[in-house]
Amino acid sequence: MTDANATRPRTRRDAQFDKIRDREAALAGTRQHTARFMSKFLNNRLAVVGFVIFAVICLMSLFAPLIAQHDPMSPNLRAIAKPPSAEHWFGTDKTGRDVFARVLYGGRVSILVGLGSALLSAIIGVIIGVYSGYVGGWLDWIAMRISEIFMSFPQIILVLLLVAILGQSLLNLIVIFTLTGWGGIYRMARARMLSIREEEYVQALRSFGLGPARIAYKHMLPNALGPIMVNITLSTAAFILQEAGLSFLGLGVPLSIPTWGNILNAAQDLRVLEQNWWIWLPVGATISLFVLSVNFIGDGLRDATDPSQQG
Amino acid sequence: MANEVALTVNGLKTYIYTNNRCNRALDGVSFEIRQGKTLCIVGESGCGKSVTADSIMQLLPTLSRIEDGEITYHGPDGPVRIDQLPRDGAKMRAIRGKEIAMIFQDPMTALNPVYSIGFQIKEMLKYHTGLGRSDRHSKAIDLLRSMGIPLPEKRVNEYPHLYSGGMRQRAMIAIAMSCNPRILIADEPTTALDVTIQAQIFELMDTLKRDHGTAIMLITHDMGVVAELADDVAVMYMGNIVEAGPVGKVLRNPVHPYTRALLESIPVLGRGKDQEIKAIPGQTPDPYNRPKGCQFADRCAYRIGACDQMPDETQVAPDHRVTCWRYEEFAADAAE
Amino acid sequence: MLTYIARRLLTLIPMVIVISFLIYLGLELTPGDAVSHMVPPDARSMMDEERLQALRESLGLGKPFIVRYWIWITGVMQGEFGYSLAGGVPISKIFLDRLPATLELSFAALLISTVLGSILGTISALTRGSLTDQSLTVVGMLGVSIPEFFFGLVAILVFALNLNWFPVGGRILPGYDSFWDRLPHLVMPAMVLSIMMTAGVMRYARSSMLDALSRDFIRTARSKGMPEWRVNILHGFRVALTPVIVLIGFRLPVLIGGSVIIEQVFQWPGIGKEFVSAVRSQDYPLVMMVALFSVLAVLIASLIVDLLTAIIDPRVRLGE
Repeated sequence: MTDANATRPRTRRDAQFDKIRDREAALAGTRQHTARFMSKFLNNRLAVVGFVIFAVICLMSLFAPLIAQHDPMSPNLRAIAKPPSAEHWFGTDKTGRDVFARVLYGGRVSILVGLGSALLSAIIGVIIGVYSGYVGGWLDWIAMRISEIFMSFPQIILVLLLVAILGQSLLNLIVIFTLTGWGGIYRMARARMLSIREEEYVQALRSFGLGPARIAYKHMLPNALGPIMVNITLSTAAFILQEAGLSFLGLGVPLSIPTWGNILNAAQDLRVLEQNWWIWLPVGATISLFVLSVNFIGDGLRDATDPSQQG
Repeated sequence: MANEVALTVNGLKTYIYTNNRCNRALDGVSFEIRQGKTLCIVGESGCGKSVTADSIMQLLPTLSRIEDGEITYHGPDGPVRIDQLPRDGAKMRAIRGKEIAMIFQDPMTALNPVYSIGFQIKEMLKYHTGLGRSDRHSKAIDLLRSMGIPLPEKRVNEYPHLYSGGMRQRAMIAIAMSCNPRILIADEPTTALDVTIQAQIFELMDTLKRDHGTAIMLITHDMGVVAELADDVAVMYMGNIVEAGPVGKVLRNPVHPYTRALLESIPVLGRGKDQEIKAIPGQTPDPYNRPKGCQFADRCAYRIGACDQMPDETQVAPDHRVTCWRYEEFAADAAE
Repeated sequence: MLTYIARRLLTLIPMVIVISFLIYLGLELTPGDAVSHMVPPDARSMMDEERLQALRESLGLGKPFIVRYWIWITGVMQGEFGYSLAGGVPISKIFLDRLPATLELSFAALLISTVLGSILGTISALTRGSLTDQSLTVVGMLGVSIPEFFFGLVAILVFALNLNWFPVGGRILPGYDSFWDRLPHLVMPAMVLSIMMTAGVMRYARSSMLDALSRDFIRTARSKGMPEWRVNILHGFRVALTPVIVLIGFRLPVLIGGSVIIEQVFQWPGIGKEFVSAVRSQDYPLVMMVALFSVLAVLIASLIVDLLTAIIDPRVRLGE
């Protein structure tokens, strides 16, 4: 538009700038304020897409009995390892069980393990972390040392070690995940509390004579919720991946219960891998899609709650 | 040589586009910097002082651009239109550092922590002079010595975190002055330093101006500094220069209400505790939601209807200009 | 610098003691007594009950727990790791046989992910907001979301079974044992194992680089009129490197964990595969020893990372 820009080649960015400038000029004076959090989250297209995928997969698993035409457990000897058809959308496995039904029902267990372990470890981690971060003292010291011990193990080795000791069952798996997972969220909550503790409103509350528990949980915790939420989503994703990995090895949830990892377990057989792709490919894709959607949500939450990440 | 113009800025508009919003950071700014003189640009934070410096150096953030206006550097090889040069092209880089150098507000963060001070000086010499390796090293030591840093032979190999704040800023000035630039832009160079150190740094800059004839553009928010150092002064408010002229005229006969308010808000030493200090009412407007006309109108005690339109720049005297509808009344007032 | 290393080592010692203590506790609480994992099964089957009892005495089983721990830990320090329940092989022999394979795989993956991750992350940061950046971000997201073993299965199906480019699994064919013979076997497992780490390093390198580029000294460097590459690489990347190295150190356990599953997928004869079968057959002595040494590996890795950052960052190196 001016000779100032004439010698400089116009870029994609210039067009973008012009659009913003013109919109601002048109809007001058009429500003409406939507809720900042919601608008930021909705602005993040990937997060919204992630949320939709997440919701669809969760609902389909939840209403599996209504959607699936077949029983996931009952073998059908007349339909062994059949490719996908109108009758069996994802085909059947080597004992003639409907793979689509197994993926739906498997989702229930896998999501339960992932989300349940993430929530449980968050509850434990936050309760300890918030209190010990604010109060400090011997409780803080002990909790810190314990979490250090837990975190110096490679997670999967610790999990397998505990599986070897406690044995395989659905409940044990959730317990083990919670045991190995609380440390990360505990440290995060503690670090947040340590920085919030220095803020003035906390000093003020203390001068009002409020008890430490009340200050910590009622007044400080809400200010740490953003990163905690992000952490819960990310650890849900991590636990689902771990459950899949363990069950793939045959060491996670007992093979009699369908889970995403257990279905994939069949692919350890090279013949299945090569000839019966429908047994393992759809479920692998489902796991990937679900974890991807959870990660998108986590990223969106992080951007929406973290004021330092702008632009 | 004394009144030779080193740099002209004319009607400069720079907009910043972050978070999908447009901040009209500079909205038509004009001034010139003369050889061997100090121009002070004064204003509150966020008024566009630093954006002006960044525009001249072409160091603007990626999400911003010069919309309109001219920046002309009057170099030894004739005038160069800086605003037309590609940001990181060879020509701009040849000017940056060699012809126009810059020192920054916080020497703590402006120096790279993982390289020695010597490395950071020598880097500049490497790109703008033909000096060899060992010459660069001895030149770096000379520079540090002339900036008053003790034991420069030893200090040249030390890392920034071992330097004190004042020494860091001296090292920063050593980097900036290493190629004898014709213009030195100093962006609040002492804000992060102790008051006693401030005086030393300013003294150093004044010496450099006298010895090398360097033109200095000093950005500050401190009227005391202006009175001390400036030859010329430009007062900025929300992306405009509201008043500019020789320091004597502007400080003694301010004709813009903002300049007057600024001067009235500073306590004067020795006038005792009964002196009247007037704070400027209100706060600077949201840069994304600017008033329509004069940017200062909302806080101005002399507001009239006409202030809904932006006034033009008017010359009060040949070297004194102001952007205000009612400047004549103030000029008359000042003449009394 | 030397005192720094010494102090860092000293802080590790209590950690190692506590963890080895816990591991020993685990050994004592799991089925099978000390004799069963400290004496070769062959030798044991030859003994009668009385001799066994005498042996138990000599191993200190009648003594207090802390003494038994002491006997065990001094043994471990002299390389007596005990015996695997399956086949009665000395655990030290299993380690000697299997460790090279695991180290080879992990180092290859570490190398790939460090180099590739930091290069891609830097490119992504330098082209922030562009199409390249956006696609790299999505690819990185896919990398951390898709299970590694699923990648492995797809890779086997496509590159080994259909295209026949690489062998399906294993490490060495009999008679072919030079590195070049092994290389085709290594390619797929190393690539697959590195995917998740590469994606992680890339995401982190991007944000670390963006952070470095937003710092004031970048503006200083630019104000010197240096070429953009020098500003970005010498000033930006050099500063962004420290946190990336720290992250790689933190992620090392994830890599070790990943190798457990990937070794299974590709039938790679390493410690991880051995560990999985030990867990399956509840071979506790072996499980515990692998766990103990994986912790040692993590602790040593974190020590190396600390030393590396000290070398790279003068503030750490010279600050006391």
